[in-house]
Amino acid sequence: MTTLITIFLVLGLSVLFTAGLRTASGTDLADHITNPQQRPVLGGSDPKMHAWQRFHVRYYTMTLVFVAFEMEMMFMYPWAVVFVEEGPKALAEMGMFLTILSVGILYGWREGIFRWE
Amino acid sequence: MTFAPALTTLILFLAIGIWIAAILDAVFYRRISGQGGVSVLSPFYAAAAHLSRQRLTTEAPDRLNWYLAIAGYLAIATIGLAVVPFGPETAVIGIKTSVVLWGACESLVVVLVFLHGWSPNSPLALIGAYRYVAIGLPIMLLSMFVLIAAALPARSLDLRDIVASQEGLWNIIRQPLGLPLFLLLGLSLTLRGPFDYADSADLAGGTSVEDSGANRAGWQVARLAMLVGFSAIAASTFLGGYLGPILPGIVWLAIKTLILMAVVIGLSHLLARMPVARMLGLIWKFLLPIAFVDLLLAGLVALA
Amino acid sequence: MAKLASQAPVPVFVAQGDDAPAETARLCLNSTLTIVETPRAAAILLVAGTIPASLIPNLHRLHDQLPHPRATVFWQAEPTDLLSEAVTVRNDDNLVSVLTDTRSSLLSGSHGTEADLLPDAPPNEWRGVGSHGQGGKGMMGGTPYGRPMAMTAADFRDGLELDAYTADFGPFLPMFPPGLVLTLTLQGDVIQKVSVVHLPFAGEGNAGAALLRLLGLPALAKRLLRGPSDDADFKRLIRLSGVRAAIPPGLGCAPNGSDVRERFERLTTDPGNPSKVHVDGVGLGDLLIGLEWHEAMLVLNSFDDESLRAICANTSSPELEEKNGDSMDHEGHAGHMS
Repeated sequence: MTTLITIFLVLGLSVLFTAGLRTASGTDLADHITNPQQRPVLGGSDPKMHAWQRFHVRYYTMTLVFVAFEMEMMFMYPWAVVFVEEGPKALAEMGMFLTILSVGILYGWREGIFRWE
Repeated sequence: MTFAPALTTLILFLAIGIWIAAILDAVFYRRISGQGGVSVLSPFYAAAAHLSRQRLTTEAPDRLNWYLAIAGYLAIATIGLAVVPFGPETAVIGIKTSVVLWGACESLVVVLVFLHGWSPNSPLALIGAYRYVAIGLPIMLLSMFVLIAAALPARSLDLRDIVASQEGLWNIIRQPLGLPLFLLLGLSLTLRGPFDYADSADLAGGTSVEDSGANRAGWQVARLAMLVGFSAIAASTFLGGYLGPILPGIVWLAIKTLILMAVVIGLSHLLARMPVARMLGLIWKFLLPIAFVDLLLAGLVALA
Repeated sequence: MAKLASQAPVPVFVAQGDDAPAETARLCLNSTLTIVETPRAAAILLVAGTIPASLIPNLHRLHDQLPHPRATVFWQAEPTDLLSEAVTVRNDDNLVSVLTDTRSSLLSGSHGTEADLLPDAPPNEWRGVGSHGQGGKGMMGGTPYGRPMAMTAADFRDGLELDAYTADFGPFLPMFPPGLVLTLTLQGDVIQKVSVVHLPFAGEGNAGAALLRLLGLPALAKRLLRGPSDDADFKRLIRLSGVRAAIPPGLGCAPNGSDVRERFERLTTDPGNPSKVHVDGVGLGDLLIGLEWHEAMLVLNSFDDESLRAICANTSSPELEEKNGDSMDHEGHAGHMS
């Protein structure tokens, strides 16, 4: 419970700090932001369209391999705690698990998922 | 330590850390470029200069997320620092699973940096945001492997136990591969040097290209806060945290944090950044296997 | 607050024009200035050299992107009609003091901030248009909040249909050679199409420092600008930084076989004597299409000015032709464009 309270307290303080920066600045400056000021930075050129788009991410296949490894983390947390009691058996188990996942990396590598296409 | 003094210590540690980090950054930069000295007050001058200018927004921005990205990045850095023990059994957030909490903070950084680049609705910022995710995700795997490796001899996911387990021998000696790999994560979390795929020069500042005035000041403060939080975590995991003779624990922690901050800043000014696809390959094909070896060695040592 | 702020280095955004003073690139070595990457971080817009008439609208748009309080300083340049009140400096010697004084008087309020040059109107009228008053039509049409949305197009490599973002980039971007304006079509961060709107200015280049900056080594870039590059310490730092590993082999390969890596080495070891590249009909399209943004910027900045101008001239550029090809009749031209 104290942990949650602390986390929310820190979050609240950070929000307040950021708000404080905003109020500390610009009080005697023009508050109104005009249309030409709002134009996105393109080095003097005028954008033709909004930047938000269905962005073509080149690494989406990589993220699938990443998800496999993140799931593996779920097993590693409890594994780390009992590792010393369980001894070599635990080491062998994690070794096998990582080997299987590494085959996934090798396969992905062959398929070119770490390239930008 | 009771809660209120502990929280005050935390905030003081963070504030002084940010100030020193800003000076260190300027000192390294000027030293390498061959320029003169730095005033110890320069971070305050820079902050005042930022705050003296108007805070601009763009056409149809995501105002809420712009705000939350900056405040959240600062909050995540502070929570990271809060799990660090300042002395035996004292941490602001003292839980049995503090490594898991820090892991969650690491992954939220990717979300917040992305939001910071997303929210202005500006092309250069958007490219920085998407590109950062490609590197921010896999670099987290390295850090989780080395943190798990550090948890093995402690038989616990509690950072306090991990520090206590280094009473005889620091992890930097017991697991020599751990700290270098973890420092790479630090470069990525603080958007620095070779891992600065979000705020880099080829995008004229990337996710922060549209930040002016208070937003720019807030984002820079949050980046430095993350450097302090990260360095304190690294000092506790690999350099024995508060352990040390004669001086009080918190002083030792501060000294070790300072050293790691200097190392991260030095690396960020001295290492070249490669194109993002090349870095992606490097992480998966080269650095990740090294992290496996680190885990294996740590396991064998813990069983020996 | 103003007192503290005036102790900080003066944040200057440099808009470089034609025949900009040779000292422009070395302004960043002055510790009382910071040369910033974006107009959003600047208090002073420094116009160095003549801005050609065709780029004056770009300068005005750039000017309006600076946050208040802001001022413009023209250095060896004629102020534009809209900025006739701005400070002008002819003599090199007092530029830095003029910049510091202007910033101080901006902060104290004795020099009023400059108003917008462009009318305060949205790029397209959108308020109250459409079913929700957001300016849109249907799912994607119209101009929501003043601009259209990006539309799908096939990726040239795999035909995947996602949004293609087209815009003009430049001429005042810190990672572009000064004067260069490109129309780029991007899918994600990969360049799909490129055409030249304005050629880069001729002049002595600082490609070595620009490349170091792009590689995330701004401190070393300053060191290179500072002077004698036969400094062994500098060479060692460059080698240790892993630049060779950071530049992919074969990137931006010219017909004579020189790639970015080779040109970079030439530029940093012997900046006074850049290698002339045999351009041989190579256009920007051959070099940039299919490259990711960071790689494309490395390629753009790895050439000497003369070669880059030749490469840009080789690039098919409807807008440049439109300006030059006055004899072409309008209908024929429209057919050519499509």
